Amino acid sequence: MAYTYLITGATSDVGRALIERLLRTAPDSLVLAQGCGDLPKLDALCAEFAGRIRTFDADLSDRAKVDAFVQQLQDAPAPTHFVHLPALPVVNTKFKAFDQARFDLDMEIEIHSAVRILRAILPAMAKAKFGRVLFIQTSYTIGCPPKNTAAYVMAKSAIGGLVKSLAVEYAKFGVTVNCVAPSMMETNFLKDTPDLIVQAAAADNPMGRNARPGDVVPAMAFLLSEEAGFITGVTLPITGGSAIV
Amino acid sequence: MTEQEILSAVQDIFRDNFDDDSLEITRATCADDIEDWDSLEQINLLTAIEKKFGIKFKLADVRGLKDVGDLLDLVSRMV
Repeated sequence: MAYTYLITGATSDVGRALIERLLRTAPDSLVLAQGCGDLPKLDALCAEFAGRIRTFDADLSDRAKVDAFVQQLQDAPAPTHFVHLPALPVVNTKFKAFDQARFDLDMEIEIHSAVRILRAILPAMAKAKFGRVLFIQTSYTIGCPPKNTAAYVMAKSAIGGLVKSLAVEYAKFGVTVNCVAPSMMETNFLKDTPDLIVQAAAADNPMGRNARPGDVVPAMAFLLSEEAGFITGVTLPITGGSAIV
Repeated sequence: MTEQEILSAVQDIFRDNFDDDSLEITRATCADDIEDWDSLEQINLLTAIEKKFGIKFKLADVRGLKDVGDLLDLVSRMV
Protein backbone atom coordinates (compact mmCIF):
# COMPACT_ATOMS: atom_id res chain seq x y z
CA MET A 1 0.00 0.00 0.00
CA ALA A 2 1.31 3.46 -0.87
CA TYR A 3 1.33 5.47 2.30
CA THR A 4 1.18 9.22 2.65
CA TYR A 5 2.68 10.46 5.88
CA LEU A 6 1.71 13.92 7.02
CA ILE A 7 4.35 15.04 9.50
CA THR A 8 4.08 18.36 11.30
CA GLY A 9 7.19 19.63 13.03
CA ALA A 10 9.04 17.63 10.38
CA THR A 11 12.12 19.83 10.51
CA SER A 12 12.92 18.78 14.08
CA ASP A 13 15.68 16.27 14.80
CA VAL A 14 13.07 13.58 15.47
CA GLY A 15 11.07 14.57 12.39
CA ARG A 16 14.03 14.26 10.08
CA ALA A 17 15.12 10.94 11.58
CA LEU A 18 11.57 9.62 11.23
CA ILE A 19 11.26 10.74 7.61
CA GLU A 20 14.52 9.04 6.74
CA ARG A 21 13.43 5.79 8.35
CA LEU A 22 9.96 5.78 6.81
CA LEU A 23 11.13 6.55 3.30
CA ARG A 24 13.94 4.00 3.47
CA THR A 25 11.62 1.20 4.53
CA ALA A 26 8.60 2.04 2.34
CA PRO A 27 9.85 2.88 -1.15
CA ASP A 28 6.45 3.87 -2.54
CA SER A 29 5.50 6.25 0.26
CA LEU A 30 5.20 10.01 0.24
CA VAL A 31 5.87 12.48 3.06
CA LEU A 32 4.01 15.77 3.44
CA ALA A 33 6.38 17.70 5.70
CA GLN A 34 5.47 20.87 7.58
CA GLY A 35 8.02 23.26 9.00
CA CYS A 36 7.90 26.89 10.03
CA GLY A 37 10.53 29.13 8.48
CA ASP A 38 13.10 26.35 8.63
CA LEU A 39 12.39 24.15 5.61
CA PRO A 40 16.05 24.25 4.45
CA LYS A 41 16.64 21.72 7.24
CA LEU A 42 14.89 19.24 4.96
CA ASP A 43 17.03 20.00 1.90
CA ALA A 44 19.32 17.00 2.35
CA LEU A 45 16.39 14.62 2.75
CA CYS A 46 14.57 16.16 -0.22
CA ALA A 47 17.68 15.63 -2.33
CA GLU A 48 18.13 12.06 -1.14
CA PHE A 49 14.47 11.13 -1.62
CA ALA A 50 13.73 13.21 -4.68
CA GLY A 51 10.02 13.69 -5.38
CA ARG A 52 8.96 11.81 -2.25
CA ILE A 53 8.82 14.75 0.16
CA ARG A 54 6.51 17.70 -0.30
CA THR A 55 7.26 20.58 2.01
CA PHE A 56 4.89 23.12 3.50
CA ASP A 57 5.83 26.26 5.40
CA ALA A 58 3.10 26.98 7.93
CA ASP A 59 2.97 28.77 11.25
CA LEU A 60 0.96 26.45 13.49
CA SER A 61 0.53 29.13 16.16
CA ASP A 62 -1.82 31.06 13.87
CA ARG A 63 -5.25 29.47 13.28
CA ALA A 64 -5.79 31.22 9.94
CA LYS A 65 -2.44 29.93 8.73
CA VAL A 66 -3.27 26.43 9.94
CA ASP A 67 -6.50 26.60 7.96
CA ALA A 68 -4.56 27.76 4.90
CA PHE A 69 -2.16 24.85 5.38
CA VAL A 70 -5.08 22.43 5.62
CA GLN A 71 -6.41 23.91 2.38
CA GLN A 72 -3.05 23.34 0.69
CA LEU A 73 -3.15 19.72 1.77
CA GLN A 74 -6.28 19.20 -0.33
CA ASP A 75 -4.06 19.19 -3.42
CA ALA A 76 -1.93 16.35 -2.06
CA PRO A 77 -2.85 12.67 -1.66
CA ALA A 78 -4.94 12.11 1.47
CA PRO A 79 -2.71 11.26 4.43
CA THR A 80 -2.83 7.67 5.62
CA HIS A 81 -0.68 8.66 8.59
CA PHE A 82 -0.43 11.82 10.66
CA VAL A 83 2.46 12.48 13.03
CA HIS A 84 2.25 15.67 15.09
CA LEU A 85 5.61 16.68 16.52
CA PRO A 86 5.72 20.46 16.98
CA ALA A 87 6.39 21.94 20.40
CA LEU A 88 8.06 25.00 21.78
CA PRO A 89 11.35 24.39 23.57
CA VAL A 90 10.78 23.86 27.28
CA VAL A 91 11.44 26.86 29.46
CA ASN A 92 12.27 26.36 33.12
CA THR A 93 10.03 29.02 34.65
CA LYS A 94 7.97 29.27 37.79
CA PHE A 95 4.22 29.41 37.25
CA LYS A 96 3.88 32.98 38.49
CA ALA A 97 6.67 34.11 36.18
CA PHE A 98 5.11 32.58 33.06
CA ASP A 99 3.84 34.93 30.43
CA GLN A 100 0.17 34.14 29.72
CA ALA A 101 0.98 34.23 26.03
CA ARG A 102 3.26 31.26 26.46
CA PHE A 103 0.39 29.07 27.67
CA ASP A 104 -1.71 30.15 24.71
CA LEU A 105 1.12 29.54 22.27
CA ASP A 106 1.81 26.04 23.58
CA MET A 107 -1.86 25.16 23.23
CA GLU A 108 -2.11 26.60 19.73
CA ILE A 109 0.94 24.74 18.44
CA GLU A 110 0.47 21.43 20.18
CA ILE A 111 -3.31 21.08 20.41
CA HIS A 112 -5.43 23.48 18.40
CA SER A 113 -3.40 23.03 15.22
CA ALA A 114 -3.66 19.25 15.57
CA VAL A 115 -7.41 19.42 16.11
CA ARG A 116 -7.89 21.54 12.99
CA ILE A 117 -5.73 19.24 10.90
CA LEU A 118 -7.36 16.09 12.27
CA ARG A 119 -10.85 17.39 11.54
CA ALA A 120 -9.79 17.72 7.92
CA ILE A 121 -8.01 14.38 7.48
CA LEU A 122 -9.70 11.88 9.80
CA PRO A 123 -12.87 11.47 7.70
CA ALA A 124 -10.83 10.15 4.76
CA MET A 125 -8.88 7.79 7.02
CA ALA A 126 -12.14 6.49 8.49
CA LYS A 127 -13.63 6.01 5.04
CA ALA A 128 -10.54 4.11 3.93
CA LYS A 129 -10.80 1.98 7.09
CA PHE A 130 -7.14 2.63 7.76
CA GLY A 131 -5.21 5.35 9.49
CA ARG A 132 -2.43 5.96 11.97
CA VAL A 133 -2.20 9.06 14.14
CA LEU A 134 0.77 9.53 16.40
CA PHE A 135 1.75 12.27 18.81
CA ILE A 136 4.88 12.87 20.78
CA GLN A 137 4.19 13.47 24.43
CA THR A 138 6.72 13.48 27.25
CA SER A 139 7.58 11.38 30.25
CA TYR A 140 6.80 14.53 32.27
CA THR A 141 3.14 13.51 31.95
CA ILE A 142 3.83 10.17 33.66
CA GLY A 143 3.63 10.48 37.44
CA CYS A 144 5.00 13.59 39.09
CA PRO A 145 6.18 16.23 36.59
CA PRO A 146 9.21 18.41 37.26
CA LYS A 147 8.52 21.84 38.66
CA ASN A 148 8.62 24.97 36.52
CA THR A 149 7.35 23.42 33.29
CA ALA A 150 3.63 24.20 33.60
CA ALA A 151 2.93 25.39 30.05
CA TYR A 152 4.72 22.45 28.48
CA VAL A 153 3.18 19.83 30.76
CA MET A 154 -0.28 21.36 30.33
CA ALA A 155 -0.16 21.17 26.54
CA LYS A 156 1.40 17.70 26.52
CA SER A 157 -1.26 16.47 28.94
CA ALA A 158 -3.96 17.84 26.66
CA ILE A 159 -2.48 15.72 23.90
CA GLY A 160 -3.03 12.68 26.10
CA GLY A 161 -6.73 13.50 26.44
CA LEU A 162 -7.14 14.07 22.74
CA VAL A 163 -5.40 10.81 21.90
CA LYS A 164 -7.56 8.72 24.22
CA SER A 165 -10.77 10.32 22.98
CA LEU A 166 -9.94 9.90 19.31
CA ALA A 167 -8.65 6.37 19.86
CA VAL A 168 -12.03 5.27 21.16
CA GLU A 169 -14.01 7.16 18.58
CA TYR A 170 -12.05 5.94 15.55
CA ALA A 171 -11.13 2.40 16.63
CA LYS A 172 -13.93 0.82 14.64
CA PHE A 173 -12.67 2.55 11.50
CA GLY A 174 -9.22 0.98 11.66
CA VAL A 175 -7.65 4.26 12.70
CA THR A 176 -5.27 4.06 15.65
CA VAL A 177 -4.25 7.06 17.72
CA ASN A 178 -1.23 6.81 20.01
CA CYS A 179 1.58 8.68 21.71
CA VAL A 180 5.20 8.11 22.46
CA ALA A 181 6.47 9.67 25.66
CA PRO A 182 10.23 10.03 25.68
CA SER A 183 12.23 11.17 28.65
CA MET A 184 14.59 14.08 28.13
CA MET A 185 15.93 13.70 24.61
CA GLU A 186 19.19 15.28 23.56
CA THR A 187 18.21 17.25 20.49
CA ASN A 188 18.13 20.87 19.43
CA PHE A 189 14.86 21.02 21.39
CA LEU A 190 16.92 21.45 24.57
CA LYS A 191 18.63 24.61 23.39
CA ASP A 192 16.97 26.67 26.14
CA THR A 193 17.48 24.07 28.87
CA PRO A 194 20.46 24.63 31.20
CA ASP A 195 23.27 22.10 30.69
CA LEU A 196 23.18 21.15 34.35
CA ILE A 197 19.56 20.04 34.03
CA VAL A 198 20.44 17.94 30.99
CA GLN A 199 23.45 16.41 32.76
CA ALA A 200 21.45 15.75 35.92
CA ALA A 201 18.67 14.04 33.94
CA ALA A 202 21.24 11.79 32.29
CA ALA A 203 22.92 10.96 35.60
CA ASP A 204 19.57 10.18 37.26
CA ASN A 205 18.31 7.98 34.40
CA PRO A 206 18.57 4.27 35.27
CA MET A 207 20.39 3.75 31.98
CA GLY A 208 22.77 6.58 32.77
CA ARG A 209 21.96 8.72 29.76
CA ASN A 210 19.24 10.76 28.13
CA ALA A 211 17.12 9.55 25.22
CA ARG A 212 18.24 10.04 21.63
CA PRO A 213 16.16 10.24 18.45
CA GLY A 214 17.47 6.77 17.59
CA ASP A 215 15.75 5.42 20.70
CA VAL A 216 12.41 6.98 19.88
CA VAL A 217 12.04 6.75 16.10
CA PRO A 218 11.90 2.92 15.93
CA ALA A 219 9.04 2.91 18.46
CA MET A 220 7.26 5.55 16.43
CA ALA A 221 7.72 3.54 13.25
CA PHE A 222 6.23 0.50 14.99
CA LEU A 223 3.13 2.38 16.17
CA LEU A 224 2.73 3.69 12.62
CA SER A 225 3.01 0.23 11.09
CA GLU A 226 0.18 -1.99 9.89
CA GLU A 227 1.09 -4.67 12.42
CA ALA A 228 0.39 -2.27 15.30
CA GLY A 229 -3.24 -2.11 14.23
CA PHE A 230 -4.69 -3.40 17.52
CA ILE A 231 -2.75 -0.91 19.64
CA THR A 232 -4.62 2.32 20.17
CA GLY A 233 -4.99 4.97 22.84
CA VAL A 234 -1.65 4.17 24.42
CA THR A 235 1.17 6.36 25.62
CA LEU A 236 4.39 4.41 25.17
CA PRO A 237 7.12 5.55 27.57
CA ILE A 238 10.60 5.58 26.05
CA THR A 239 12.54 6.53 29.10
CA GLY A 240 15.34 4.11 29.92
CA GLY A 241 13.32 3.38 33.04
CA SER A 242 13.19 6.93 34.37
CA ALA A 243 9.37 6.97 34.16
CA ILE A 244 7.42 3.74 34.28
CA VAL A 245 3.67 3.35 33.91
CA MET B 1 36.88 39.38 43.17
CA THR B 2 36.65 39.11 46.97
CA GLU B 3 34.59 36.49 48.74
CA GLN B 4 32.38 39.28 50.06
CA GLU B 5 31.68 40.48 46.55
CA ILE B 6 30.86 36.94 45.45
CA LEU B 7 28.63 36.45 48.50
CA SER B 8 26.80 39.67 47.74
CA ALA B 9 26.15 38.68 44.13
CA VAL B 10 25.11 35.17 45.15
CA GLN B 11 22.78 36.61 47.77
CA ASP B 12 21.07 38.70 45.09
CA ILE B 13 20.59 35.52 43.05
CA PHE B 14 19.14 33.69 46.07
CA ARG B 15 16.78 36.59 46.76
CA ASP B 16 15.61 36.68 43.16
CA ASN B 17 15.25 32.91 42.91
CA PHE B 18 13.32 32.50 46.16
CA ASP B 19 11.39 35.77 45.78
CA ASP B 20 12.52 37.00 49.19
CA ASP B 21 14.18 40.41 49.26
CA SER B 22 15.04 40.06 52.94
CA LEU B 23 16.82 36.73 52.59
CA GLU B 24 20.27 36.81 54.25
CA ILE B 25 22.67 34.02 53.46
CA THR B 26 25.94 33.11 55.17
CA ARG B 27 28.58 30.47 54.52
CA ALA B 28 26.62 28.13 56.79
CA THR B 29 23.29 28.49 54.98
CA CYS B 30 22.17 25.17 53.53
CA ALA B 31 19.11 23.62 51.90
CA ASP B 32 17.56 22.87 55.30
CA ASP B 33 17.41 26.62 56.02
CA ILE B 34 15.36 27.59 52.97
CA GLU B 35 12.10 25.73 52.53
CA ASP B 36 11.98 25.85 48.74
CA TRP B 37 15.62 24.93 48.20
CA ASP B 38 15.36 21.51 46.53
CA SER B 39 17.42 19.87 43.81
CA LEU B 40 15.69 21.71 40.98
CA GLU B 41 16.01 25.08 42.72
CA GLN B 42 19.66 24.28 43.28
CA ILE B 43 20.11 23.88 39.53
CA ASN B 44 18.27 27.15 38.96
CA LEU B 45 20.60 28.86 41.43
CA LEU B 46 23.66 27.35 39.81
CA THR B 47 22.47 28.28 36.33
CA ALA B 48 21.94 31.88 37.45
CA ILE B 49 25.40 31.90 39.05
CA GLU B 50 26.94 30.54 35.86
CA LYS B 51 25.34 33.38 33.95
CA LYS B 52 26.32 36.05 36.46
CA PHE B 53 29.98 35.04 36.68
CA GLY B 54 30.44 33.75 33.13
CA ILE B 55 31.45 30.29 34.34
CA LYS B 56 30.33 26.74 33.55
CA PHE B 57 29.88 24.14 36.28
CA LYS B 58 30.25 20.41 35.77
CA LEU B 59 27.67 18.17 37.40
CA ALA B 60 30.39 16.39 39.41
CA ASP B 61 31.56 19.75 40.85
CA VAL B 62 28.14 20.71 42.15
CA ARG B 63 26.71 17.38 43.33
CA GLY B 64 28.68 17.47 46.60
CA LEU B 65 27.94 21.04 47.63
CA LYS B 66 26.73 21.05 51.24
CA ASP B 67 26.18 24.73 51.93
CA VAL B 68 26.71 28.26 50.66
CA GLY B 69 30.32 28.13 51.86
CA ASP B 70 31.08 25.23 49.52
CA LEU B 71 29.34 27.12 46.73
CA LEU B 72 31.34 30.30 47.35
CA ASP B 73 34.60 28.32 47.43
CA LEU B 74 33.69 26.68 44.11
CA VAL B 75 32.88 30.03 42.51
CA SER B 76 36.06 31.59 43.92
CA ARG B 77 38.14 28.88 42.25
CA MET B 78 36.48 29.53 38.90
CA VAL B 79 36.37 33.33 38.61
